[in-house]
Amino acid sequence: MTQPIPRRHFLRAAGTLIALPVMESLGYRAFASEKKITPPKRMVFLGMGFGVTQETWYPDVHQQGAHYVLPEGLLPLARHQKDFSILQGLTNKFNTEGHWGSTFWLTGANRYGVPGRNFNNSISADQVAAAVLGADTRYGSLHFTTNNGGGDGHGPGLSLAWNAQGKPIAGMDSPTLVFHRLFSEEKTSLEERKALLAQQKSILDAVLVDAKRVKRGVTKTDSDKLDEYLEGIRDIEIRIAKEEKWSGAPKAKAPLAEPAAGLGGKEQIKAFYDLAVAALQTDSTRVITYRQPVTALLKGLDLKSPVDSHSMSHYTMGLATGDASQLRDKIQSELLAGLMDKLKSVKEADGSSLFDHTCLVFGGNIRSVHSLDNCPTIVSGGGASIRLGEHMVLPKDTPLSNLWLTLLQGVGVSAERHGDSTGALSTLI
Amino acid sequence: MLWPCCSGPVALALLLSLWAAPQTRFSAGASALPTPPVARVNEKHRGFFREYCVECHGAKKREGKLRLDELSFALDSVQSADRWQKILGEINSGEMPPDDARQPSKTAKSDFLDNLSQTMVLARRTLSDTQGKITIRRLNRREYQNTIRDLLGVTVSVQDLPADGGAGTFDTVGSALFMSSDQFERYLELGRKALDHSFAKLGGGPKFFSVHREPETATNAAMQKAIEAVEAAQGRYVEWTAAVDKLAALPENQKLADEIRAMPTVKAVPARFYVQWSIKKPEPAPQTFGFADAAAADFHRSQYWKLQVDRDYLNLPHKDTGTYLTVFLGHSLEQIDAKKDWPPGDYLLRVKVGALEDSEPERCFLQVGQTDPGNPNSAKASFQPFTTLQITGTVERPQVLEIPVRIDSDTPRIFYLRERTGRGKDYKLAMDSPQQTGKHPKPALWIDWLELEGPVENNPKAGAAKSKAPEPLLQLASLSKSSPKASQAEARQILEPFAERAFRGKKPEPEFIDRLVALFEARVQAGESFDVAIRTPLSVILASPGFLYLQELGEEGKPRLLSPIEFASRLSYFLWSAPPDEPLLQLARSGEIKQPSVLARQIRRMIDSEKASAFIRGFLTQWLSLDRLDLFQFDLDLYPNFDDAAKDAARMEVFKTFEHLLRNGGSLTRLLKSDFVMVNGLLAQHYGIPGVEGNEFRKVTLPKDSQRGGLLGMAAILAMGSNGRESNPVERGAWVLRKLLNDPPPPAPANVPQIKRLEGRLLTTRERLAAHQEEPQCSQCHRKIDPIGFGLENFDASGKWRTQDSYFKRGVGEKGWEIDPAGAFYKGPAFKNFAELREIIANSPSRLSTGFSEALIEYALGRPVGFTDQALTQQMVQAAGRRNFLITDYLFALVTSREFQSK
Repeated sequence: MTQPIPRRHFLRAAGTLIALPVMESLGYRAFASEKKITPPKRMVFLGMGFGVTQETWYPDVHQQGAHYVLPEGLLPLARHQKDFSILQGLTNKFNTEGHWGSTFWLTGANRYGVPGRNFNNSISADQVAAAVLGADTRYGSLHFTTNNGGGDGHGPGLSLAWNAQGKPIAGMDSPTLVFHRLFSEEKTSLEERKALLAQQKSILDAVLVDAKRVKRGVTKTDSDKLDEYLEGIRDIEIRIAKEEKWSGAPKAKAPLAEPAAGLGGKEQIKAFYDLAVAALQTDSTRVITYRQPVTALLKGLDLKSPVDSHSMSHYTMGLATGDASQLRDKIQSELLAGLMDKLKSVKEADGSSLFDHTCLVFGGNIRSVHSLDNCPTIVSGGGASIRLGEHMVLPKDTPLSNLWLTLLQGVGVSAERHGDSTGALSTLI
Repeated sequence: MLWPCCSGPVALALLLSLWAAPQTRFSAGASALPTPPVARVNEKHRGFFREYCVECHGAKKREGKLRLDELSFALDSVQSADRWQKILGEINSGEMPPDDARQPSKTAKSDFLDNLSQTMVLARRTLSDTQGKITIRRLNRREYQNTIRDLLGVTVSVQDLPADGGAGTFDTVGSALFMSSDQFERYLELGRKALDHSFAKLGGGPKFFSVHREPETATNAAMQKAIEAVEAAQGRYVEWTAAVDKLAALPENQKLADEIRAMPTVKAVPARFYVQWSIKKPEPAPQTFGFADAAAADFHRSQYWKLQVDRDYLNLPHKDTGTYLTVFLGHSLEQIDAKKDWPPGDYLLRVKVGALEDSEPERCFLQVGQTDPGNPNSAKASFQPFTTLQITGTVERPQVLEIPVRIDSDTPRIFYLRERTGRGKDYKLAMDSPQQTGKHPKPALWIDWLELEGPVENNPKAGAAKSKAPEPLLQLASLSKSSPKASQAEARQILEPFAERAFRGKKPEPEFIDRLVALFEARVQAGESFDVAIRTPLSVILASPGFLYLQELGEEGKPRLLSPIEFASRLSYFLWSAPPDEPLLQLARSGEIKQPSVLARQIRRMIDSEKASAFIRGFLTQWLSLDRLDLFQFDLDLYPNFDDAAKDAARMEVFKTFEHLLRNGGSLTRLLKSDFVMVNGLLAQHYGIPGVEGNEFRKVTLPKDSQRGGLLGMAAILAMGSNGRESNPVERGAWVLRKLLNDPPPPAPANVPQIKRLEGRLLTTRERLAAHQEEPQCSQCHRKIDPIGFGLENFDASGKWRTQDSYFKRGVGEKGWEIDPAGAFYKGPAFKNFAELREIIANSPSRLSTGFSEALIEYALGRPVGFTDQALTQQMVQAAGRRNFLITDYLFALVTSREFQSK
């Protein structure tokens, strides 16, 4: 479908600066065919909270490389076996919290690293990526989440993402909300929106005046704490600046229908997966994280007797908890396989697929029960140009941060270290 | 009279005479904070360490290039703690010592691990100790909601705000309360929403609305209509089947008819012949008989029996004067609707209701609730009760219940009533009963009429209630009404006092107000009327740091006394989770709040106020970890009556017990053992306590040998120590150690290998958990935890008393056994049964006293309790100990302490 393109877009595109809205309204694909622009790189991180069923999820360590038998918990992924690698031996060495499957998963931080503080965190890998990959999209990064972080084995945090100051970044827990943020056109006119942006700026100016007052005369600790508020305001200012740039550009056309309201469990995860594909496909963002529900997923399953997520993590094979744990693995694998199907089915302008340019990670910081070593890790997609289709057993206690570093470098982010990394994983490249 | 004489003014004044002390103590030793101890591995393990660790990781061998011979036993830095953490991890995971190396004895390994784990906990606490430093607090979700309520008279939903805390601290701990850009925008939105509600209430004027409903007219007519429709369809169904029969009887169709009759599905249910016929033959078309297709006709057939429910209903004796609530089918939900134009606010739902004479007691509960507007399922499926009420009236002598309900502008306006039936239980009852008894289950409840009226403050009969509207709101009302023509001066007149009130007595900057007025002006220019335009700057106030943070001036490292205004806020957020009200603020402005007698009166007033329930719930939920109750659903096949309503009642018992003790000069030790319980009808039924009916929680004196009385006999505590199916002795034992004995086991270590050896075998709980004692990694903690848990095994997962237990494993079988609660504390006294176990715990109240004091300090001061708090803890324990651990004495001792009064 081609639409008439306003003349000013050509003028601006021909000039020195290629304004962002042009990318959006034309789509980089339009350029790709003519100017051989390669599709951009994307990253997707899916964190599952409480871990997997040890016995039926991990392949046999004696079968390394491409020829390994897919274990029961991963069977639904069989059709994609060539297109993902499963890694064993990765660990976040500082994490000692057996219920915190996500807090440090992408950061590799030491909770007690700063004397005089009983909680400390650092930037997560997705945010390192977003600082580079997110510059040209309407949303720098998107975060989906369950709001039951504690109960689902994720630990403290508001999503998988932590900012440069090690503070939690909020996530969205409703597919409908995500849909509207991505695709619903503003109901107001451009002029009205500009007025609204101006008003937002005045609001920020006003609260900054009060922030100055509150900061006056307080201790250094309090003043530092209040900086979180100021950082929040600065984030909004940056967003407003971005919105102003984008205010003339219509939002992307929704490639999917609005998700039904009130979805739960499995259906909700699927809806979020569909939205993730849609967000990448329309280039609304290039970085997505998803802190996934466990309790809600279990409640939605037709289990003979109800099992809460924590009991499930302490599963015993053959009992209700073991059944729940295995069923959960299976459904997660089915959903993941579905996501891979979708990513493969979306074609880029150069004939390649979205899957070819996306780096997809599925896993968590908890193996099973309270074990934090050998974190379950599946990497997929062509985004980071890593070896796919293999089962790799890395040396015991290889830092997870080494994987993040490898993937970041793979998608073209020039990071030298991340978290407690000691170097990129050569076996993966 | 809620205060017994023993905690009267005299005693209080005695305590408060310490009040002058803090200031003097201050000047004396402001800089001399006690230094936290250094965590140190016990020297007695030196030999163990040398033999099993250093031998390979020493100067000579250096296995894995690791040298431990020079590692200090003092964990005095983050680096050394991290190194020891790694050692602990390696031993816990069974990696070290390696299998081919010499192994220590199990006891030696347990003891070493025990000591190292405890040392690690101490080291982490020491190294993260804040030296009593209080980080500025943001209002948490509860406080935000209460603060908005006190300012604007509306209750906002705070679900959209991110959850607070999470790192194992109270939700009042400032350092763990974060702020982000999203959150700021949500505060703006929520503030605006609250203002809109508030103005809508004001705009509604003093109007009072009500609706009365006699449900029988609607119900009976609907039933009649339903019966007629089903009967008509039945007539058409009979005609259709007769037409099929006629064709099937023809000789040329004989073969086909026989084939169909031979199908397994038809053999099972002969009436399915017709639908199968229809698949093979187009004639006679079901459409001719008014059915969409044969499947629809067959569906009608399969549902026809349900007609009996409606028929039975119309034969019930009192159907013409009221309505029955049937079970699942038929008329299971009754409803009453608020009109669209009624303003948001607090309303009253009144219902005249009675139970049928021979109804089972567990069915005599009425639930009031709403349905999820976002849920596409039917009202029956998405019904969520918010109240469950025991019905003590009868059909002959019904009772009138009054249920407070809230209407918001964006919540559903229909209120539903139904019998209390567990998740899925009503469905089972409705489906099983006809098969078993040939009859639909009888209704248990009957409703005469319903009424909905409000807003309650506008009730002409309750004249004084009007003045209850919060002052700032009334001020807004009068000003915005008197200023139909917007002027900047008038906007300023509203904004300035509102900001000062929202900032809890601190004055805003003139420049701040100027900018707000400019925002107002811009809205007016955009065409908004005065009372709309003013809401934009008002909502900005509600997202400003002065509102969101509790500002207390101070200088790093130099404790400073709080100003009276700051003190008023700290006090009210402690006891109310809400801002200081006008009386408190007045006393703060005049400085009188610091006078001992004045303060004593205020504390008493605050404890007696309804608002203190925020403290009771907020503090107890977190201190006792009651949120674990929400982590899982009970299996209603095993515990048919332990539904959400029972959980709520069980939780309420904890709150009501504490509230009773707090307000009546009760002792903290009553939480360990007590001669009374606070229960309502529902909970009394669960416990098997006779003679308690109705929904009010009340004090019931227990017989001498009762298992109830004290936290250990409460359903909430016992249910938390389960997974909804089986009791969990480990959870229970650990909880007792953490909460009642102030001896918390270290956090469950990561990477401990799971014991799989016993899988698939039929064992008693004791036999299964015996495995914990085999491996040193497990026994280091479980030798302390498990015996306590076994002592509580006479309570099932829902907290009911039992003497037997059983274990079922699919495909293997079932095993039952007599419960043996006997055991002994690790290196401590033995007990034969629960009563003795409870007695031992009740005899060491000082442990609870210390744990309770530490929790109060953390909750009230908003920072983790540290080593610098030892003196304060001791002070509180001693003050309370002088008078049998009165709960109020802890509060007074804390509020009058140097720490509470200073930043």
